[in-house]
Amino acid sequence: MLPAAHAFELSFKALRRNRMQTLLAMLGVTVGVGALVTSIALGNGAQDAINDQLRAAGANVIVITAGNYQVQRPEGTEGAAGHEASIRRFDPHLRPAGYGQDDQEMSLRNAMWRPSAFPPMWRDFDVPRQPASSGFMRVHYEDDPNAVHDHPTAKERLGDSMAGLGAAATLTREDAQAIRTQIPGIQFVTSGVHENARVSLPPTGAANAPGGRQWFTRLHGTESELPEIRRGWTFTHGKFLTRKHVDDAARVMVLGKWVADRLFGPDVDPIGKTVMLWNQAFEVIGVVGSRSWAVQPAAGDDQFDAVYVPVTTVHELLNLSKLNTITVTTESAGDTTRIAGELVKLLRERHGITDTMPDDFTVKTQAQQLLGKGLPPDLARVVAGNMQSVDTLTIEKLSDSLSRANWTMLGLLAGVAAVSLLVGGIGVMNVLLLSVTQRTGEVGLRIALGARRSDVATQFVLEAVLLSVVGGLLGALLGIFASTGLERVFQWSASVSPSLIVLAIAVAGLLGAASGAYPANRASRLDPIQALHHE
Amino acid sequence: MPVIAFQNLKKSYALGENTVHALRGVSLEIEAGEFVTIIGPSGSGKSTMMHILGCLDRPTEGRYFLNGKDVSNLSRDELAEVRNKQIGFVFQGFNLLPRTTATENVEVPLLYCRPVKPAAQRRAAAIAALKAMGLGDRTEHLPNQLSGGQQQRVAIARALVNEPTLILADEPTGNLDSTTSMEVMRTFQELRERRGITIVLITHDPEVASYGSRIVAIRDGLIVSDKQNPDRNAVSESQRAVANA
Repeated sequence: MLPAAHAFELSFKALRRNRMQTLLAMLGVTVGVGALVTSIALGNGAQDAINDQLRAAGANVIVITAGNYQVQRPEGTEGAAGHEASIRRFDPHLRPAGYGQDDQEMSLRNAMWRPSAFPPMWRDFDVPRQPASSGFMRVHYEDDPNAVHDHPTAKERLGDSMAGLGAAATLTREDAQAIRTQIPGIQFVTSGVHENARVSLPPTGAANAPGGRQWFTRLHGTESELPEIRRGWTFTHGKFLTRKHVDDAARVMVLGKWVADRLFGPDVDPIGKTVMLWNQAFEVIGVVGSRSWAVQPAAGDDQFDAVYVPVTTVHELLNLSKLNTITVTTESAGDTTRIAGELVKLLRERHGITDTMPDDFTVKTQAQQLLGKGLPPDLARVVAGNMQSVDTLTIEKLSDSLSRANWTMLGLLAGVAAVSLLVGGIGVMNVLLLSVTQRTGEVGLRIALGARRSDVATQFVLEAVLLSVVGGLLGALLGIFASTGLERVFQWSASVSPSLIVLAIAVAGLLGAASGAYPANRASRLDPIQALHHE
Repeated sequence: MPVIAFQNLKKSYALGENTVHALRGVSLEIEAGEFVTIIGPSGSGKSTMMHILGCLDRPTEGRYFLNGKDVSNLSRDELAEVRNKQIGFVFQGFNLLPRTTATENVEVPLLYCRPVKPAAQRRAAAIAALKAMGLGDRTEHLPNQLSGGQQQRVAIARALVNEPTLILADEPTGNLDSTTSMEVMRTFQELRERRGITIVLITHDPEVASYGSRIVAIRDGLIVSDKQNPDRNAVSESQRAVANA
């Protein structure tokens, strides 16, 4: 082997000699490597997006909602006999086993609770009874079509409902804290209060001037862990709420991208600006958008057409103390069923619910929610009742088919990249053959002066590798540029990792070595006598 | 021990359907410190002899001992090493690398010498060789910035840089005018006298051949005459006298 520094110098000189051909060959490699990097970046990006979606679909998310809307009294079971039977059949954990066996309207397992199973005293004490002819037992005065609807204030409503009633609001931040500390296998816990709200820009100018732009949206009072649960999020500006914001009940707000665009316009950085909510000034500290091309902010989408403020701030301003939801993630997706069971146990205990009483909350895995979405209630109940097998199966299948589609696309793109790399390699070989022909005399001299075959071959291979690696570096840049551009323009997601760049340059180097092998071999086999006299 | 020993060396080529016998059985011994000029018309086989002498080609028959070692059947890479270590080449066309400084040109044989010397040592050796050729002020010049004589002296410096026992010169004055040719030939004579280097020079020009201490004439692949050249010293002395005057 030649001394390395000298060998490189020689290669540079040789490449400089045929500047135009070298640049064109390099361009070929650049395009090939660029195509490779772009296709892999897009393929990876799509895979990431699929994973994000699946994660967002919540293989490991459990949502605890205040109230229990699954509790319903079916028709025609009024009366003592029905009552007795119902007590026997009542299952506070809503486990489907044994339910609905004698229900004519439901041949599949059903999860339901019958209010007629209540002890008569409790029923008489708390629930005004309707004549049996009505068919339904009134379980909440808001459900009474004859009642005067004098809606209670939010404060009155939260906390006034009894267990088993849809509107029950008994979840507290203390519950959330208990879940965080007492249940093993829990990853993140966040409390939530959800309201509809109007946010607006502060009024400008004179006192009587009209207020700024406004937007009706979803308000989430939440905690700092929420972004860890919503994995598909990205912060286009600023950051999410911190623990300190929550502890201090700070007047800060994170805007969903949709809201930020409506209030400030798409290209404005709203960090530090003021947004009015309930006549209070909130400082904007972040804007949250979607990381996945498949999920884009849209009107009424609950994630990005929404604003986020500390749950404590909502409690303080609305004078509340209860929560609408507690959202929990488990460390392992396979643990959700077990942990859901433990959550039920813990919360029943904390809420002092006896065995004969139904939950005053609803525990659902997000997969359950997702799969049940859009189905007629009866069918949704069936799905929920058979969830244990359905959720894993479906999510795996979904993941599988999405991945397969993605790999097909990636394979296609990689094929294009391979063809362009091949063409690039032919270009490199062409330049090298030219170089060998031009330098036959020089090669002859070097052989005469003692160059071995390997010395000659190495020199030309090095030349080809150098050419290709420089082309590869440019190609990597091109690929990053192209995939970022596609990401911007078409909202695709691309993922360029350092290892991809290393791979691109390694591929370029190998391409160079392969394209240089034939010219190098030819040069090394030159007859020194003929080569010396070659002009 | 002779530097070069040819034993009944034959070389033939297949040229189409015919076989060309370039050398038909040459036996020759050259002792250390000799300045042998090989003279012959074109087609006499002297170029073939030169290639075999220079280990650029292998004989078809017979044996070639270089410094006592049989090099007739060495592999290509083994021959490369022999050429690199033991033989310095001087060609008719100088064969300097274009766009490469004199020093870098002289360094080339050192690059293929194993083990490779550090860059600083290679450079120092190259500059020393150039200085010995009187080119101390031309070390960074490119070949096209040098005269023909200077270029050939760079080539001689390159031949010497690896301190070979044998210098092979193939028509070294073929591209030079007569004055410069004389200078170059005197340079060879001085190399032999001062350093005791064995020189084999091939030419078709009897005048050039007359600088040698021994003149071998070759014709049709056979040695036709081989005689010592007593004039050689006289020529050398007279030239030195002119130079000193």
